[in-house]
Amino acid sequence: MKIIYFAWIKDITNFPEELLDPNEIKNLDSLKKYIVSKYPDLKKHLDQKILRFAVNQEYIVENIDLKKNDEIAVFPPVSGG
Amino acid sequence: MIKIQKEDFNSDEEIHNIKKIHSNVGAVNSFIGYVRDNNNNENVQSINIEVYEDMAHRQLQKIINEANTKWKLIDCLIIHRYGKLRVNNKIVLVTCFSEHRKDSFESCNYIMDYLKKDAPFWKKEFYNNKSEWLSNSK
Repeated sequence: MKIIYFAWIKDITNFPEELLDPNEIKNLDSLKKYIVSKYPDLKKHLDQKILRFAVNQEYIVENIDLKKNDEIAVFPPVSGG
Repeated sequence: MIKIQKEDFNSDEEIHNIKKIHSNVGAVNSFIGYVRDNNNNENVQSINIEVYEDMAHRQLQKIINEANTKWKLIDCLIIHRYGKLRVNNKIVLVTCFSEHRKDSFESCNYIMDYLKKDAPFWKKEFYNNKSEWLSNSK
């Protein structure tokens, strides 16, 4: 599965995207644990509910199961328009 | 119609190209968003807009579909730019086409509200000596 980062999240991860092992990341909660362990600076933003998550281009808030071909996006609140 | 592009656009031409295929349109309402030169008491030099393009198309289409359930719309156009933009450049155009003005007025406002809330675009503003990512929820 692929995870992609946008805006200032990318400044923290230093990568725009990475591939994850679907055998290790089973659901959105495990993905959240993975990113805060790899990028500790994201933890405070996760705790403050600033991070947004999308799976296959749809906003997701609940802990859904993830599949091997899913595209997961992590980003801050939007600022378009 | 949804367009996500780097290039500038001619609002009159874009609106005319849709209007000419709908002779039943009697009301057209547009919103145009521009880069302004001041924000948060800082002199804005330019902005950079990042987009999650696949999701932006999907979310904007959902917003249009929702507007179609609330108002009687004949067509709808959204153009949103990304990349580096300077002061006075256009950022976004939303145009709603309907038979009567109330549908086009109200739906245009609704679409802009939800575009600012849900569409995955992010602005970074550049000032004289620094830059800052913006958030619409602030």
